[in-house]
Amino acid sequence: MESLSDSDIMENVRDGQVEKLAILFERHHVKIFNFFLRLTGSHDLSEDLVQDVFIRILKYRSSYEGKGRFTVWMYRVARNVHVDHLRKNKGTYNLEDQFEEPESEEDSPMHALEQKKDKELIQKALSQLPVKKREALILSRFQDMKYKEIAELFGCREGTIKASIHRAVKQLGEIYLELQGGVPS
Amino acid sequence: MTCSNIQERFVEYLTGQLSEKESEEIRAHVAECSDCRRELESLTEIWTKLGVLKEERPGDRLRTRFYSMLETYKLAEEEKIRKEREGLFSRLKNLWPRKPVFQFALTLGMLVLGLVIGNVWTVIPQQETVNTALADEVQTMRQTLAASLIDQGSASERLQGINMSYTLVDPDDKLLDKLLSTLNSDPSVNVRLAAVEALYLFHDHPKVKKGLIDSLSRQSSPMVQAALIDLMVSIRERRAVDALKSLLEQEDLNPEIKDRAEKGIQRLSF
Ligand SMILES: [Zn+2]
Repeated sequence: MESLSDSDIMENVRDGQVEKLAILFERHHVKIFNFFLRLTGSHDLSEDLVQDVFIRILKYRSSYEGKGRFTVWMYRVARNVHVDHLRKNKGTYNLEDQFEEPESEEDSPMHALEQKKDKELIQKALSQLPVKKREALILSRFQDMKYKEIAELFGCREGTIKASIHRAVKQLGEIYLELQGGVPS
Repeated sequence: MTCSNIQERFVEYLTGQLSEKESEEIRAHVAECSDCRRELESLTEIWTKLGVLKEERPGDRLRTRFYSMLETYKLAEEEKIRKEREGLFSRLKNLWPRKPVFQFALTLGMLVLGLVIGNVWTVIPQQETVNTALADEVQTMRQTLAASLIDQGSASERLQGINMSYTLVDPDDKLLDKLLSTLNSDPSVNVRLAAVEALYLFHDHPKVKKGLIDSLSRQSSPMVQAALIDLMVSIRERRAVDALKSLLEQEDLNPEIKDRAEKGIQRLSF
């Protein structure tokens, strides 16, 4: 069973075989969902944003050029969807909505509670990073994107991304420490 | 190399994007330089901490919404093409003259013209045929989609393709062949089981019936064997008796399957 590349499939979608978008959906929706989840901390909102990404891919399918990795193009759409959402909602998230997911069963209740607190804290720290830094950090930490690809996605030099992600991690560490009640070094 | 050069590569070091040689350079530097060591330690700590944000699964509603959006989009595209055709038709109607004499002349002219181009031009479809054409289009779309998903590399994509084929009224031979070969040779038991379910829906098709009977001897998983036996019994397929008998001759047949096959033969032999 030989799989077509994402790019080949997207070219088919562009050229009128829109039903093939389903293959791209099956391949990528969990990844994009988690990109949004880490970016926003909200389960429901992230589902809505994923849906928006695929609507836009259809709408702008004719602009797909087939250059570079499909995922770079897809994350570009995803970033735009997120930015538009922020614009509409002036950057506020419903913090109540965060992490209603049940923890895995093997954890003891104490451990689960601790983990939940940890998760909330790190998510809160993340949300205090400026959007661009947050995006770059998430892409490199969780979405298997290389500096080169992130640079292509952001339309800037690789060196800039390198430095910016480095600063983002540092800054995140400071925010996290602060939230924990410690003193930033 | 300066400390800031080294520190700039820490994230790449953490994500494993550096070569062995470059990583060695980092390790050698931090062994000597306590500033950089402290910096790397604190970065590593927060980097690891981020790991609590585990990958999560979206709800099922996301998939449902996506597929209905895709279908709506496809139908809207079809509608657009149809409107364009109709628009052309009504513009032609406006050219129709009021006076009977001219009407007659025009009709005659059109008749001649029609005879000439009739061989080349396809007839503009009527309203009802457009509606059935639209329904057919949905079927065809689902069919293509199911077939292309079944061809994909991951088991979840293939499962999705099989699920999609459940919704078809009358799948074509190509898709049925695909489902049958999936049943016989897919590496995943779950995918093979889903194929049994899908083929059950189309068991009236002679090709499917034969394929299902033939498949009994090819299955090694007791789960798939059990599903096939149950299917034969529920569609009362008497021709399966022979296949069940030869299944019983297999060495190291799972005792539960043996039992099920024997009962199946009894029920089918009445
Ligand atoms: Zn140093």
